[in-house]
Amino acid sequence: MKKIDLHLHTVPSISDKNFFFSLNSLKEYVEKLEIDCIAITNHNLFDRTQFEEINEELDIKVFPGIEIDLERGHILLISENENLDDFSLKCKKVTDLILTKDDDITYEQLIEIFPNLNNYLLIPHYDKKPIIKEETLAKLGDHIFVGEVASLRKFKACIKDNDKLTPVIFSDTRFVEDMVSFPTRQTYVNVEELTINSLKGSLSDKAKVCLSKEEGNDFFQATDDGIILSTGLSVIIGERSSGKTYTLNKICENFENVKYLKQFSLLQNDEEKFKELVTKRHSLVSEDYLKEFKDVLYDIKDIDLKENESDVEKYIESLKKYANESDKLDAFSKCLLYNETLFDTDDLENLNKLIKATEVLLKNIEYKTIINSHITDESLKNLIKDLIIKHTEIYEANLKKGWINDIITRVKDELQFRSNTTTIEDVDFNKVLIDKLKIKKFTELVNSIKNEKEIDSKEIRGFKVIAKTKKYTGASQLKNKSKSQLTFSTAFGNYDNPYKYFISLKSVGLEETELYKYFVDIEYKTLNKHGFEVSGGERSEFNLLHEISDALKHDVLLIDEPESSFDNIFLKNEVNELIKEISKVIPVIVVTHNNTIGASIKPDYLLYTHKQIENGEIIHKVFYGHPTSRKLKTSEGEEIQNIDILFNCLEAGQETYYERKNRTYEILKD
Amino acid sequence: MKYLKIDDNKGFFIKDKEQPTIWTEIDQIEKNDLLYLLNHSTVEDFEFDEYVEANIGNKAHQIIYKHLSEKLQSFLATKDRFKDEAESIYKETLEKYS
Repeated sequence: MKKIDLHLHTVPSISDKNFFFSLNSLKEYVEKLEIDCIAITNHNLFDRTQFEEINEELDIKVFPGIEIDLERGHILLISENENLDDFSLKCKKVTDLILTKDDDITYEQLIEIFPNLNNYLLIPHYDKKPIIKEETLAKLGDHIFVGEVASLRKFKACIKDNDKLTPVIFSDTRFVEDMVSFPTRQTYVNVEELTINSLKGSLSDKAKVCLSKEEGNDFFQATDDGIILSTGLSVIIGERSSGKTYTLNKICENFENVKYLKQFSLLQNDEEKFKELVTKRHSLVSEDYLKEFKDVLYDIKDIDLKENESDVEKYIESLKKYANESDKLDAFSKCLLYNETLFDTDDLENLNKLIKATEVLLKNIEYKTIINSHITDESLKNLIKDLIIKHTEIYEANLKKGWINDIITRVKDELQFRSNTTTIEDVDFNKVLIDKLKIKKFTELVNSIKNEKEIDSKEIRGFKVIAKTKKYTGASQLKNKSKSQLTFSTAFGNYDNPYKYFISLKSVGLEETELYKYFVDIEYKTLNKHGFEVSGGERSEFNLLHEISDALKHDVLLIDEPESSFDNIFLKNEVNELIKEISKVIPVIVVTHNNTIGASIKPDYLLYTHKQIENGEIIHKVFYGHPTSRKLKTSEGEEIQNIDILFNCLEAGQETYYERKNRTYEILKD
Repeated sequence: MKYLKIDDNKGFFIKDKEQPTIWTEIDQIEKNDLLYLLNHSTVEDFEFDEYVEANIGNKAHQIIYKHLSEKLQSFLATKDRFKDEAESIYKETLEKYS
């Protein structure tokens, strides 16, 4: 088995943040992680001088490579360590084509530069951003049999799926001075010799690719000091202050997209805070429920009924005044265009909808028989033709009206500028009426929304979260909602008159896009299995279940002492089951010294942390192994009896265990 | 029902449809009267005498009647579109929340 890392960076490019490469760090990494082979793959460039220096300094196989921006995705192209002149020249052509971080090359350009792709090992970003698109992979054809993935979970998913490429995980790391820890993202390959051709042979066979040296894909190295973990469920136990949380933090540093549930973080003593948390988590329910209402608010935001009335008044008054002055008209106001009204243009929206609807009928294949039993394709085609003719006719007329309106406006302006006679103000009757109707419907809408009702209900492992609409009952609620010092008392005075309320809300100082939240409140209630609101302990339980379920969106789940917030029955019945389920999908690591979790959960792997002082120095040791192994070992090979650890960490010692079991429980049974 | 008429060389309008025999001279029309006419024009048969200059002697009546009838005519020409639009205002949204 060879441990390989064919994706690492040593030169900053336009696609990177600036960094200073450290050859020492790279050397330390290779030695500490016992890596057999690496490839230098900088973004769109190959630095031959530096490559030769690295190759000279390291005792392992080093391949020259390049990470290319190809059709919006990334691909590694790795060459044999020979004929570097040619490889360097070809890479230079890529560098010349990619001048900014948004540039990429096409498949055709790639082929032009590297006409014989057979000579290289190609590894696209497969389940890792930025992904090489399916179309590009198809064009690359048989040259692609292996793909880079971003996490253990994705690795395992690809290994199991026959339709997926062989997955590989690489560090994709930039090596700089003073690195605190090194990545553990590498892949083991069963390969005889480290040449591009042999590697290609092995990588085309999923059975020859693993996450661990000896235990297939069920284990992986979690930290650079050699801690091995299960890709399923690992449990870390140890006495107080033995370094359990320290180990967990170290594991956390090594991975991206980790869900880390820290000790006591799940305790929910404060009811209000809990409500806030639940509301935040379910904010999508509120957003979704009020989405259409929000659109309506946006639609009416500029309607001003008072101004509309005033426009009608100005129109009628100016008309009457002008009529009374009819005997005093001057040369300008006598012109008929002086008070000419503008043409209304016709709205084509309905006609467009009709044309589209007819097209849908014509193009539909699924229900063609039914459609054609009522109307023939010929009739539909004729209908579309007639509708389009009508559309063109109206469209042309609109253009003409627009053109005429333009002239009228200009002439009127000139005439009115020179005349002393009253000008008749214009008013849009259609707008006045539509605005009025909109506000009427808006009022109906708000009244409906204010009717209190249940709008959503979700079952979460015995708990139920119910969302209910609720009228606001005071200005202080609005203020709480806004989480600001704004004053809502005047606005709330109009709460029963939706339009007035809306107008006054606008002047409170809120963001316009937030106003929709102030018409009705959405309250969430969390109920236990008996249908009552949850108690303090149940709130914590619910919180844990939620957080653990949420973990599936992540690549690793870390839990630090879940027992700090819960009783054993809950842990045994609910938490253990859920943790086991999740560990089938992502690696789960639990720190505990509770026997319900530590032993009853039946972990796939057990770790024991131990602190000891040697020569005045504190040393943290981590022993690990299968839970059924008699002995656990450190990465240096030091051993310890498994049973002793279990008794000491989970049962307060062997003596106490037997005493409790044989005396206390047996007596109680009787 | 007829809301505007020309009679006796003058223009008239109906202020209140419940009193269809009471006609008010067109130069007495006010903002609220016009809004009243507009509201009724969309929901029922709205009729009015066509403007004929020779039939109105009073110059001021001529101007007001001409202007109003033209404007109403242009609005009523799109009455069907208005009705469609009015019908569909927030229809789906109202259904969702009711």
